[in-house]
Amino acid sequence: MIRLENVTKVYGAGSEVVAVHDASFDVAKGEFVFLVGPSGSGKSTLLRLLNRQDRPEAGAVYVAGRNIVDLPSSRVPQLRRNIGNVFQDYKLLLNKTVFENVAFAQEVIGKPKLHIRQQVPAVLDLVGLAGKEERFPHQLSGGEQQRVSIARAFVNRPLIMLADEPTGNLDPATGEGIMRLLDRINQIGTTVLMATHDQRIVNSMRKRVIQLDRGVIVRDQARGVYE
Amino acid sequence: MNFGRLSYVLRETFASFRRNVTLTAAAIITSAVALLIFGLTLFIQQGFDNLLVQWEDDVELIVFVQPEASADQRAEIEQALAQQQGSLIETFVYCDVECSLDIADQLFAGDPVTRDMLNENNVPTQYRVVPSDAGELEQLRGLSDAWRELPGVQLVEFAEDALSTVDKLKSFVSLYTVILSIVLLIAAILLIWNTIRTAMFARRREIEVMKLVGATDWFIRIPFMLEGLIQGLLGSLFACFGLGIINNRWTASLDEFPPLSAFRAMYVSSGFAFERMIWIAIIGMLAGAIGAGIAASRFLDV
Repeated sequence: MIRLENVTKVYGAGSEVVAVHDASFDVAKGEFVFLVGPSGSGKSTLLRLLNRQDRPEAGAVYVAGRNIVDLPSSRVPQLRRNIGNVFQDYKLLLNKTVFENVAFAQEVIGKPKLHIRQQVPAVLDLVGLAGKEERFPHQLSGGEQQRVSIARAFVNRPLIMLADEPTGNLDPATGEGIMRLLDRINQIGTTVLMATHDQRIVNSMRKRVIQLDRGVIVRDQARGVYE
Repeated sequence: MNFGRLSYVLRETFASFRRNVTLTAAAIITSAVALLIFGLTLFIQQGFDNLLVQWEDDVELIVFVQPEASADQRAEIEQALAQQQGSLIETFVYCDVECSLDIADQLFAGDPVTRDMLNENNVPTQYRVVPSDAGELEQLRGLSDAWRELPGVQLVEFAEDALSTVDKLKSFVSLYTVILSIVLLIAAILLIWNTIRTAMFARRREIEVMKLVGATDWFIRIPFMLEGLIQGLLGSLFACFGLGIINNRWTASLDEFPPLSAFRAMYVSSGFAFERMIWIAIIGMLAGAIGAGIAASRFLDV
């Protein structure tokens, strides 16, 4: 599903910062992978390379069998329709209701209204937000807001879900709820890549762990722990 | 575009109007003012053109014939004039002794001594020549020099200074009004561009989410372009309304000038005004949409 071959990403023109150096790994369809490491180790950069928010200076990034490094800009929207994104700060639209936030992801890719009216309640039910469709983000708890964000990422049934510190702003109990939800989505068949430095969550899930240190992959372990 | 997308575009456009009422009003008012001044420069140019055309129409070359010139010499002069008719000369008329004395009566009405010196025997008869285009100074000067050499010609009066002034005024008015118009139009585009840019900055989070869920650039851009187009249209409609009022008042005030005053020529016909207003509305809409499209592109790099 995902393959990185000797990927290097450098930021800055003058004083250059190597965010990722010579990274290579494969992720199979339906896998759940944690990207771990301290702040600034390159976890978020890897996720940005996978949805073409950034391009590497060297190497190849394959998503669903296609190298996306040279993908023309006009084809990037199509790529992103197969990738769901979940963020630490949720990135919800504050002037829209829960229903509208999730429907927005379908509206902007031109899904018919009837389809949206059927799909959105089903996904909200899946993430445990049935009955809260008309609430605005400020009327929800942090955990509920993250569930809306996950519903929005999942509503188009993406092949891959990229989650960047999704539990970073949540208390441990709420974080566990979010992890159960991501695990459930993974079991439905979606490949999940999650960047985190939450040791407790990584240790409890026992999934594959790719550890980064200053942009270099230092460990790639099946059913790993944080260390 | 299917109905779902169309309703999305319209909903987003009007939601943006509601969210940015003050900014939208500012953009509409400023583009209305810029387009109003732009329209006024077009009207002023037209008024000047009408005035200059009247001046040019009034310009004549006068070929004075010696009183003692023979019939053959007059025929030769007439033939020389006729050769140019249809090209440099629009028309010419011969003013005989009686006609020339009538003109002398008018010219020397305040100078009876000079008038008394002229009689049937010594008044020079004249050909009054209307040039096709009084702006073609070089050719007309060459022509009048050639006519001066003809036997029987006493003098050729060529209002070169007046024609030169007309020509310079025409160039001046058209050059500067065109420059002013372009500058004002650019100002209007920049104002709309800035409004859309500010609106987009306020919605940058929304745009980022749209990009990340796979919306195309055009899908994001179109509501903003429609917003710019509507701002440009409303601005130009206000400008056209203002232009209509100003032109009516101007046309009415021209009637207060004396009947023979040249300023009466500075009218702008309602047909011309209407045509230019349609152009202003089209320019306003295009400037708004294009300005917004360019402003939108800046925030699409996600």
